[in-house]
Amino acid sequence: MQKWHWPTPNGLPPFHISIVVICSILLLALSASMVEISYNRIVNGWRPMVDFLGHLLVTPDWSYLGQLGAKMLETVEMTVLATAIATIVSVPVGILAAENASPHPFVYRIMREVLSFARALPELVWALVFVSAVGLGPLPGVMALAFVTVGFMAKFIAESIEVVGKGAVEGIQSTGGGRLQTIMFAIMPQALPDFAGTLLYILDHNLRAAAILGLVGAGGIGYDMVISMRMFEYDRIIMIAISIYLIVTLLDRLSDKLRKRIIHGKVNVIR
Amino acid sequence: MASIKINSLAKTYDNGFQALQCLSLDIDPGSFTVILGPSGAGKSTLLRTINGLETATSGTVCVSNLQVNKQNLKSIREHVAMVFQQFNLVSRLSVMTNVLTGRLAKRHSLLSLLYLFPKEDYAIALKALERVGLEEKVWHRADKLSGGQQQRVGIARALAQEPLAIIADEPVASLDPRSSKEVLTLLRDICREMNITVVASLHQVDFAREYADRIIGMNAGRIVFDGPPSAFTSSQEISLYQHETMEVKEDAKMALAYA
Ligand SMILES: Nc1ncnc2c1ncn2[C@@H]1O[C@H](COP(=O)(O)OP(=O)(O)OP(=O)(O)O)[C@@H](O)[C@H]1O
Ligand SMILES: [Mg+2]
Repeated sequence: MQKWHWPTPNGLPPFHISIVVICSILLLALSASMVEISYNRIVNGWRPMVDFLGHLLVTPDWSYLGQLGAKMLETVEMTVLATAIATIVSVPVGILAAENASPHPFVYRIMREVLSFARALPELVWALVFVSAVGLGPLPGVMALAFVTVGFMAKFIAESIEVVGKGAVEGIQSTGGGRLQTIMFAIMPQALPDFAGTLLYILDHNLRAAAILGLVGAGGIGYDMVISMRMFEYDRIIMIAISIYLIVTLLDRLSDKLRKRIIHGKVNVIR
Repeated sequence: MASIKINSLAKTYDNGFQALQCLSLDIDPGSFTVILGPSGAGKSTLLRTINGLETATSGTVCVSNLQVNKQNLKSIREHVAMVFQQFNLVSRLSVMTNVLTGRLAKRHSLLSLLYLFPKEDYAIALKALERVGLEEKVWHRADKLSGGQQQRVGIARALAQEPLAIIADEPVASLDPRSSKEVLTLLRDICREMNITVVASLHQVDFAREYADRIIGMNAGRIVFDGPPSAFTSSQEISLYQHETMEVKEDAKMALAYA
């Protein structure tokens, strides 16, 4: 019989990895019983599900098309606006929150704390807060989206700055370039493909988030969705669902194409 | 053209490792000096201290009467250009932009942050690129060039600084023999024609003999040889690298013992 070995001095799997694997298995076994995963409920859930889907097989309410278009446009506008605002804020904040670019370790710590605070609650909760502050409409939605997005985006940007190699940075420093010059000429161009990837991913995520902000009256298609659900207007629900699906898919395809071009260097963003 | 005066320089890294031990050295203006020594001898540490990329623990380094310290860092770096083993270019930027970064120390305005440079700087950068023979590659992305070409971009960036001295840390260690010769010839010609002081570390003793005006041998953070290439005999060479060969032999013995 052949003897199998892991590539370690004693041929056993590394201690910490074994521990992690064993713990995750135990955790899974425990949590399954805690959330009461009941096969009965899953199996019996099919009936109402099929019923619900059956209701969707109706002729769409074409008279709703105009309002749907307006609301979808509003959703997309909220997404783009919030993401744009968040990007403008996130780049400088991300620089301050990157260990290797921050002017002082203290600034770095503070920024990290602020960002994790912004990320702590989902958009919907922040939207509730802003709705109560500025009233109903897309404005609190944009504010909530932008706020949470900065929390994520600045963190991602900081992390892509932290992995920029020392080589380019030392190259610029050795010429006598100052701190801001080093950031602009060494860190920014090297981290750019990562930034672009982050931006596209977040745009995608924000569109989904914006689609449900209407649930709490913060603008977008979400309000119509929840109203139609309550009123059992299946002829509208189906239209809303399909249009969200179409826009999300479209954005996904677009961002895939763009990401590939940027990463493979076909787009010279900075020459 | 600048003299480099190093006085009782010592460097201890944060982990307590003493890389340089009370090292003194005077380098003549306009000369081509090559530093030799086994791995870990402290060559990079010494060279990086001259540009202020490492700070000395004690002792002083002066470049044309300007002492290297925190206050003078920018003006030192403006006048002392570095050339690196791994080129240290910004790989996603064009060759031209990389060379223009050699002008950054002289351009403090906000415009430089927006990648705006005056015409004069383009002329200087273009001249530097012509000098290293890369005028054809001006708008190529730096990482699309071969290693030898990238190193020549590194030298062009140094030239764009209009420096008094060029410090080259193993400039040919990642290049093939032919590109190595091209790069070293370029550095020597620059040294002669423009009277720029060049200090380079190398691992190839033959190159050192061919190109250097003066060879400095280093071992364990100390200078163990200092003289013209003619004085660097093969027995000198053996004793300079002796420590290393002994280690290798011991390793071989250990390997045999395990086998
Ligand atoms: N940042 C650092 N922290 C701790 N020790 C370091 C650091 N940089 C270098 N050293 C140590 O200092 C010693 C001298 O390093 P240095 O890079 O100057 O040697 P070198 O002569 O350039 O070697 P090589 O020929 O391999 O480039 C080495 O033993 C190295 O391990
Ligand atoms: Mg070295």
